[in-house]
Amino acid sequence: MQHDVVAIVPELMLVAAALVLLLIDPFLPAKGRRGLSWLGIMACLPAAASVWLARSQQFSTFSHGIALDGFAVFFKILLLAVAALAMLLSEKHLARNGRLLGDYYALVLLATVGMMVMASAIDLATFFVGLELMALSSYLLAGFFRHQLRSIEASLKYFLTGSFASAILLFGMALLYGLTGSTNYQQISIAIGSGSLDGHVIVIAVVLLLGGFAFKVAAAPFHGWAPDVYQGAPTPAAAFLSVGPKIAAFAAIIKFFTIMLGSEQARWVPLMIVVAIATMLIGATMALLQHDLKRMLAFSSIAHVGYLLLALIAAGQSHSNFGSSAILFYLAAYAAMNMGAFGVLVFLANSARFNDSLDEMAGLARRFPGAAGVMAVLMFSLAGIPPTAGFLAKFYLFASVVDAGYAWLAVIGVLFSVVSAFYYLRVIVYMYMREPEPEVAAVMEPGGGRSWDLSLGLGLATAVVIVLGVLPAPVLNAAQDAVAKILGS
Amino acid sequence: MYSFQQQVGFPILSVMTFLPTLGALAMLLLMRGRPHLYKYTALATTGATFILSLAMVWKFDQYTADFQFIEKVNWIQRLGASYHMGVDGISVLLILLTTLLSLIIIPASWNYIKDRELGFFASFLFLETGMLGTFCARDLLLFYVFWEIMLIPMYFIIGVWGGPRRVYAALKFFLFTMAGSVLMLVAIVGIAYLARPNQYAAPVFDLDQLQHAVFSFPVQMAAFLAFFIAFAIKVPMWPLHTWLPDAHVEAPTAGSVILAGVLLKMGGYGIIRFCIPLFPDAVVTAMPYILILSIIAIIYGALVSLVQKDLKKLVAYSSVSHMGFVTGGIFAFSVIGLEGALLVMFSHGLLTGALFLMVGFMYERLHTREISAMGGLASPFPVMAAFLLFFTLGSLGLPGLSGFVGEFLSLLGLFTYNKAMAVVAAAGIIMAAAYLLWMYLRVMFVETRDEKWFRLSDLNLREIASLAPLAGLAVWVGVYPDTFINIIQPSASHLINHISPYLAQHGDFLTRFFASLGGGR
Repeated sequence: MQHDVVAIVPELMLVAAALVLLLIDPFLPAKGRRGLSWLGIMACLPAAASVWLARSQQFSTFSHGIALDGFAVFFKILLLAVAALAMLLSEKHLARNGRLLGDYYALVLLATVGMMVMASAIDLATFFVGLELMALSSYLLAGFFRHQLRSIEASLKYFLTGSFASAILLFGMALLYGLTGSTNYQQISIAIGSGSLDGHVIVIAVVLLLGGFAFKVAAAPFHGWAPDVYQGAPTPAAAFLSVGPKIAAFAAIIKFFTIMLGSEQARWVPLMIVVAIATMLIGATMALLQHDLKRMLAFSSIAHVGYLLLALIAAGQSHSNFGSSAILFYLAAYAAMNMGAFGVLVFLANSARFNDSLDEMAGLARRFPGAAGVMAVLMFSLAGIPPTAGFLAKFYLFASVVDAGYAWLAVIGVLFSVVSAFYYLRVIVYMYMREPEPEVAAVMEPGGGRSWDLSLGLGLATAVVIVLGVLPAPVLNAAQDAVAKILGS
Repeated sequence: MYSFQQQVGFPILSVMTFLPTLGALAMLLLMRGRPHLYKYTALATTGATFILSLAMVWKFDQYTADFQFIEKVNWIQRLGASYHMGVDGISVLLILLTTLLSLIIIPASWNYIKDRELGFFASFLFLETGMLGTFCARDLLLFYVFWEIMLIPMYFIIGVWGGPRRVYAALKFFLFTMAGSVLMLVAIVGIAYLARPNQYAAPVFDLDQLQHAVFSFPVQMAAFLAFFIAFAIKVPMWPLHTWLPDAHVEAPTAGSVILAGVLLKMGGYGIIRFCIPLFPDAVVTAMPYILILSIIAIIYGALVSLVQKDLKKLVAYSSVSHMGFVTGGIFAFSVIGLEGALLVMFSHGLLTGALFLMVGFMYERLHTREISAMGGLASPFPVMAAFLLFFTLGSLGLPGLSGFVGEFLSLLGLFTYNKAMAVVAAAGIIMAAAYLLWMYLRVMFVETRDEKWFRLSDLNLREIASLAPLAGLAVWVGVYPDTFINIIQPSASHLINHISPYLAQHGDFLTRFFASLGGGR
């Protein structure tokens, strides 16, 4: 592993872009802010390119605090794509709500930097810095529409629960440090693997870490904040927040649980099984009851986290990298389909009087056939029907669970996916099989309308969903290779 | 090995499978807003697909049980999944049925669909791709993908263009089928990983390799149940049939035709193609139970048909009864029984497809499907009456028409296995005569209820043209079934050869089974 500052070049690029955005924003006239999103998006491209160029080597810096290895490469490219997509979805929506500011893009970029640091941290301290950078930026993004009560409420709820989660995580990490005398993942792993440590303290540390991460990824029983935050946050920000932090948190979870606590899997796997089943149960059943689409998507994303935790159990149980690579592939598919679904809501909010309720979707196929078609593809993908990314991701994930010897968990998982098909199909029922009711249906408004970057973003997300569903091999191979290179092993 | 290069020179199965998708995409992308083009594009695409399938049958070598027109390329290499297509005698007839029915329903819904025609015809084209792919796939993952793809267009066809309770029926259809198939997915994964030569190898989804894998009995039983439930829902077998009447009644005519004609065949096909070769021990163990379920289905379907007030529901329940002969014929495990089951599937596709078409034509004229509201239709609509009589007689098993041949062979297979079962099943045919002839009597004869009907037109040329090929084929199968049996024969006997050692091993399970029921005699 080479020691070189190259390891954080992509992060530095994003930070520089964020600072430029913050600096030039006050000097621009309102009209001049139109192109700011492209400054942010364009910053992601060289960052991704530099990550890509570094893929065959391994770099570390900050005295082994952060590493750019194959594992981090996969996550960083995914996170940069998510950030770019989030910015593509945003501009028109911000402008319509009178909040078209460079700050927004700067916050997205800074949150992304935090996520990227989380994905490539190999030291508890560095990881926590990344986590906090991501978290603080996310709280601000959730409250970005400061004139809307719901947005402020979302921000405050996110901040309070998130701070608790961070504190709990920190406590768990402190226990690990106290036990092992190191903050380095590898050394902690070696110390725990030696088997000479106090098992009770390890259990407490595991519970605290699990609790903290459960908050961050919205897993039961710490999922309660997610629906409120996604509902209240500006829709494009919700798209970003429903995907980005989860990707980063799962990168860290894989390292924490399969590497650091890999030898302790007998202690955490049973707990994780309970959490995973509870998460799927709550996500799938609560989503059935929702009438607000953003809340429905929030509970659906909770259910998806449940599936991801199943793969984590597989990753902990079996000695192959199968489970971990399933998580990576699933995250890529989930990012495209979930952000796409939020993107359609953004499109509708831009084009019409639209309050995210299911009733307003009635007859959508007649008024917005393109948006309805995209939404239908994304809903089928979220439900896991071929030929979409959602199907292959689920297939690969459940395959890893079966392979690890948990066929019964896979059966529970697929049965919940049938339950969840019901609420995804309901969206399609409203769009295609109901006639609009004039009082509630989303009506085209003058002044509303298309913005081509939003259409581009939706088109990209849909294309990714279909391509990953038909020809998944390149991404699948990348996910497997990335996991094989985790922590330089 | 029969590769497509030797046989036809181009990947005929893939071209045939994806031609409808191309047509649908052309419609969606190029012809949006030009409604006059939709029907003709759909007709041309399905026509070309039908001609391709005829060419395939023409080139098909009927003296071998090997798979033919094989195409194989890597798909997801590290998962061991390949794009592997091939057909044998079992799939060829069903493919022909699929392309024929897909072609026929286009003119049959020519004037019926007035709303969102683009989506309607595109859905049917996507559906055709799914159906053909399912019959051609030789890789379990590929099969599953095609199997699930069929759900989406059918869901829209029922849900968008269906009757008043269409949303309920569409959801029920989707969730029933999906619940069955996700369990099958877990089983697919399970056996694919168990069949690996070592734990570092990629899983095995390829059917050629899976057929040589040997699974332990508990694994076979669990996987068999998962597969079987998925297929039994599609067949549909009693007691998993409840989605069928809802779906049929609400679906538009063309949807009903495809649903009855092809989608129900997927169940029987899946059992023949996957359950028997992959889980022989489990299949033989389950045999008596499934035979009993089949016979219940035959009798139950017939009895329920007897009391239906809605013409379409009557035909739907009669399908449950007919499909009992399919599962019964398959699980008798004799060459004759299997051939009979396949012929029942083929002939049911023709005759029930035609009956649904006729119900649709009647509905377009009378705007009702209530049997009690009809009566005396033979005087205003003599041509319609003639066609309905023909298909009714075919369906009740009149010798000389296709229904008789299949059911006779299926019963023969059952008879060689267990006489009592064959006798009870044969009662189903008598009941079929009862409910079908009674229906015909009430619909066509007695006095004409409404004088206005005399001002309505009889079947026109377009409608006759869509019924005539079905009638012709029904006569062909009925009079000279050898044409079709010869195609099935090698594959069927190959399959029975495969299963017979297991049968011998288990002995006459049924005798023991009944003995145990009778209490230690």
